[in-house]
Amino acid sequence: MSAVVVSSVTKIFNKGRPDEVAALSDVDLTVGDGEFVSLIGPSGCGKSTLLRLIADLIPPTTGTVTVAGKGAGKARKEQAYGIAFQQAGLFEWRTVLRNVELPLELRGTAKAERRARAEQMLALVGLADFAGHYPAQLSGGMQQRVAIARALAVQPPLLLMDEPFGALDEMTRERLQSELLGICAKTGTSTVFVTHSISEAVFLSDRVVVMSARPGRITASITVDLPSRDDAGRQSPAFFDKITEVRQALRGTPVKAAP
Amino acid sequence: MRKALYALLGLAVAAALWEGYKAVGSPDGTVLFGVRVLPRADDLSMPHLWTVAERLGRPEITGGRPVWIVVLNACLFTLGITAAGFVIGALVGLLLAVAMERFRIVERGLLPYVILSQTVPLVALAPLVAGWGGTIMPAWAVVSVIAAYLAFFPVAVGMLRGLQSPPASGVELMRSYAAGWWRTLVKLRLPSALPYLFPALRLAGAAAVVGAVVGEISTGTRGGVGRLIIEYSREATSDPAKVYTAMLGAALLGLVVAGLVSLLELPLMRHRRHVEVVTL
Repeated sequence: MSAVVVSSVTKIFNKGRPDEVAALSDVDLTVGDGEFVSLIGPSGCGKSTLLRLIADLIPPTTGTVTVAGKGAGKARKEQAYGIAFQQAGLFEWRTVLRNVELPLELRGTAKAERRARAEQMLALVGLADFAGHYPAQLSGGMQQRVAIARALAVQPPLLLMDEPFGALDEMTRERLQSELLGICAKTGTSTVFVTHSISEAVFLSDRVVVMSARPGRITASITVDLPSRDDAGRQSPAFFDKITEVRQALRGTPVKAAP
Repeated sequence: MRKALYALLGLAVAAALWEGYKAVGSPDGTVLFGVRVLPRADDLSMPHLWTVAERLGRPEITGGRPVWIVVLNACLFTLGITAAGFVIGALVGLLLAVAMERFRIVERGLLPYVILSQTVPLVALAPLVAGWGGTIMPAWAVVSVIAAYLAFFPVAVGMLRGLQSPPASGVELMRSYAAGWWRTLVKLRLPSALPYLFPALRLAGAAAVVGAVVGEISTGTRGGVGRLIIEYSREATSDPAKVYTAMLGAALLGLVVAGLVSLLELPLMRHRRHVEVVTL
């Protein structure tokens, strides 16, 4: 079963009004189980809109979104996915631990269990020692790691991420990318990852989906198969080839056939 | 410790200003183009601070209780009225804010009237409710209603702003957790509103004091410090220090209320303590 199936989805904001915007036009996307898919494209191409549709934060104008075989609305109510945004969006009045516990709390998980789970997730992102800190005491990168731990806390089969590393510096970003890959490999999570960094998309993904703007649509889907996803992988010729391929797809010049 | 020192310093500066002005100011005040721009500095208008202090120790009337006990009792009475008014006002303000946040139409329909309510002069309103005293509620409760009428406003407006303060991402996050309106309110909106609530409560505390003091005067309720100010001011020509003792009491009452309100803040705002950011 596929983690996500988006079929012939169109999204028009403010339909029938003078400020009508066609954000997505006839989009089809399938994310396989355990697959890491990046959405990349210029600003306004609707990649965040697509992610929000999958998360059922907004409804599609036409078409259907299926998450783990269920309608997107039902999947959201069952907390079938974890989500992380560009801003960590932690609740500043809660300690780091209690922030990670939040989704579990809303699920009605027993106190002892959610505490254990949250501690485990914090250990996963390397912040076990900061459980009692408040978000304001942490740097941006650490806050983002807490947000990722929070998204993972319900151990969702699907992870939705909207430019989660966008506000971070290059070094932190690369370290978090490696951590994220490790976590996804360990937990077998399927991931939809929105970014505008080509190298980030190529490094992380099994598949990079390239979108174009006005109206937003998918123009290419590039399978990435790197020899390894570590620093050696970042230096490999395959990595640079894929970067070139994605860049060409973004520019709209003819794409070389995928190997 | 340091805070207490600064508070004492502030008090000393205020005392020095009073006595300093008394020393250099003209006893008849300074009149410019027929308008008195600076007050009279004579003993009748501005008694020495030590005269006021000494008056506090002497009996109110011959053979009566010392003034400081009378003023203190009056302050406690008014404090009770203020507290009741403050609690009622804060609750009403809170409920109004939640209702306005929940239903856009309530916000549109109600907010103008909430603002309008504060432009009605208190002295016009007081006689309307004064009649309730002794019939459907005790006289002091009427004054509490007036205090609540002034206190609810900052809470309603500040709290509404606070409830609307969470960023869209926070609201979306709660939606992604399948949390409904109530749980979003409890887990997200109320905690985010706290930084807006506390300044609003301080304003409400001050407004409740004003409401209680003015309410006592305009409804003619006996026993409170507002009434005391009126009573003592009648003796201002013969015993000018006396009215200042009552005013001192009213000022003290305001400070105590402000202090109590800010105490509410301590347990709830721990995360706002100044902390160093860890960078790793």
